Amino acid sequence: MREILVALAGSPNVGKSTLFNRITGGNVHVANWAGVTLQRYEGSVSYSGRRLRIVDLPGTYSLSARDLGEKVALDFIINERPDVLVIVVDATELKKSLYLAVEAMELYEKVVIALNMIDAADRRGIHINFDGLERGLGVPVVPISALKGIGIGKLMRAILEVAEGRAGRKEPLRVDYDGLERYIAKLSGLDHGNYPARWAALKVLERSLPPKDQEAESICEEARRDLAIDPLSLIIASRHEFVDKIVRENVKRVKVSGPSLEERLDKLILHPLFGPIVSIFLISSAFFIIFTVNTGFPFNILLRALGMEEASEVIESYSLVGLLGSLFEMLAGASADFLSSIGLDPLWVRFISEGVIGSLGALLSFVPILILTYIVLGALEDSGLFPRAATVLDSIFRKFGLSGRAFFPALIGIGCNVPGIIATRGMEDERERIVVGISEPFIPCQARLVVLLAISLAAFPSPLIQASLMLSIYMLGVLIFLLSSKLLRTIMGWREPTELLMELPPYHRPSLRVIWWYSKANVIHFLKKAGLIILFMSSLTWLILNIGPSGYVEDPSHSFAFMLGNALTPILSLAGLGDWRYALALEVGFIAKEGILSTFSQLAGSPDPVSAIRYMGITPLKGISLALIMSFYVPCLATISTMLSELRKLKYVALAVILELSVSFILASISYNLGLALGLS
Amino acid sequence: MLPLSELKRGSKGRVVSIAAGHGATRRLMEMGLIPGETVEVLSNYFGPVVVRVRGVTFALGRGLASRVLVEVIE
Repeated sequence: MREILVALAGSPNVGKSTLFNRITGGNVHVANWAGVTLQRYEGSVSYSGRRLRIVDLPGTYSLSARDLGEKVALDFIINERPDVLVIVVDATELKKSLYLAVEAMELYEKVVIALNMIDAADRRGIHINFDGLERGLGVPVVPISALKGIGIGKLMRAILEVAEGRAGRKEPLRVDYDGLERYIAKLSGLDHGNYPARWAALKVLERSLPPKDQEAESICEEARRDLAIDPLSLIIASRHEFVDKIVRENVKRVKVSGPSLEERLDKLILHPLFGPIVSIFLISSAFFIIFTVNTGFPFNILLRALGMEEASEVIESYSLVGLLGSLFEMLAGASADFLSSIGLDPLWVRFISEGVIGSLGALLSFVPILILTYIVLGALEDSGLFPRAATVLDSIFRKFGLSGRAFFPALIGIGCNVPGIIATRGMEDERERIVVGISEPFIPCQARLVVLLAISLAAFPSPLIQASLMLSIYMLGVLIFLLSSKLLRTIMGWREPTELLMELPPYHRPSLRVIWWYSKANVIHFLKKAGLIILFMSSLTWLILNIGPSGYVEDPSHSFAFMLGNALTPILSLAGLGDWRYALALEVGFIAKEGILSTFSQLAGSPDPVSAIRYMGITPLKGISLALIMSFYVPCLATISTMLSELRKLKYVALAVILELSVSFILASISYNLGLALGLS
Repeated sequence: MLPLSELKRGSKGRVVSIAAGHGATRRLMEMGLIPGETVEVLSNYFGPVVVRVRGVTFALGRGLASRVLVEVIE
């Protein structure tokens, strides 16, 4: 039997995603819309013997094809001609959410309206005459609560009825555009390709679609001249009037509430002084808590600074990544024993136990932070706090050609750049997303913090200087992140981002269930997409480090990696680090930055990374140089893989790597040579 | 008549005209900022201006707000 194609459309914040998850039961597949970085969610479900494929269209306020999401949604409806278009509207905000519904029904007839949040509407004393709405719009209107699972069966039945042509409209909705009608009629007579004639005529008058020929152009001119008003404003106003009339006739409010909790909260959150402080504090605390659960950072650093070394280690080893690490160490050991016992060649034993299982462990160590980040981000977005924080921080980020939404990737990047790059999805502007994604690795992550800490301890005796070195690297990182975003926009010749225009939806309690579904689907997507690249690249790097011209080598100084390191030494000597061992450590750090310390330990034969770095003959000047290079030289493998799977173009990844390499070497060389000139060592 | 960006927090105005680019004008109108509609300013300091129109709250950048002309009601 043929599959029924169902598309979900709706404005942002009407609960469309919740409904999507409710219908598909979390059986969701994540992909990208062709050619763009926008996520595409798809799922399938069986209902009363029929197979339904459900596609979640991007949330949009209209269908004018001016921005990416609108274009994707519009193209899908026109080209795929879904069997049913479900338009989700918010029963508590009918005036707002019916606008898109009306526009969509003017385009397409096979529509079912899902009147969501009906429970909340009841509670607020909003009474809706469903039959009246159905009559007024000519399509089935089904009251539901996606969150509570109310009315879903009825909605599914309505979907089947419309799919089978037993209910719903036979042709698109006609809104009365009064004085414009004669121009619409004239334009409808022309050829509009795939588009329905009346709809295309409206879009041409709105100037959302370009006039096809001279004739269309002159009809538009005529309309503009005769009416002495922009047709755009007339069309939009008529749609709003159509919505107002339907709402007036079918909705009664019995309760009028006084200033709500919401208004009082908004007074605080949107306050010019307290707003940024409160939102930064709330959001940062949320992330620092999940960072701590994940690896112990930054709580472990705090404890260590207070001299509580042991407590700090306990936190680290019982953190999620700590536990995963021990598990994979056990696995690697057990598999090595097993493989040796069956007489496998030592090279293969070590390749499988260290190279492959080690890489798998490294890959899985990203899973907890990804899930946690998705949960917190989802909760922030869902609760309504996210757009408010982005609003109050907007003017700061504007100075660097970014919008307030850039705050999230920057903040999350402190924990780990991988979820930081993924968090750029919250941005509406595709270009801003690319610019921030490329600049993200300049934010020092916690893996680099660990290395930075060891370098500062090794190179400087005074705790004050150690702390100021670390703090300066962080401030420098954030500054370069901002400057690089600005610079990239200029290089690419992209205009400043369009001005902020963002709805601040009512605060509400986030649905954990939906957030969990999304986190799960996206983490699986990450493992499939970025995971394979990470596994492959890190196994390859392991081979370079452990194989030389003579085959498998115990001592890294006979490996291919050593030869490569030797070749890099002359460049590194510009920054005072002309020693193959630094080069080798930096190569290992490409897999994961923590690897730098274990390489130093291995080379020095000392388990303590601080004394291992001292053994390298580090001086304060070289320490600063190493700190600069290590912090900014190249994103780690996982970050690069994520950048590739999120930004989807190799040239952006190449740009990021080149930018980082040059910035780090230039900074380190300048600081080293300046120091030498000043007579420091 | 004043640009929307000049309205103080808590005051109300009636939209007279919007003189922004085509895309931005369309978006503002879709959000409900159509000539004749009443707009209430919820927050207006140095950053974006937060307004409520037709029951919807949204933030718009200062530059954008300065291109919306309103007639002050109260």
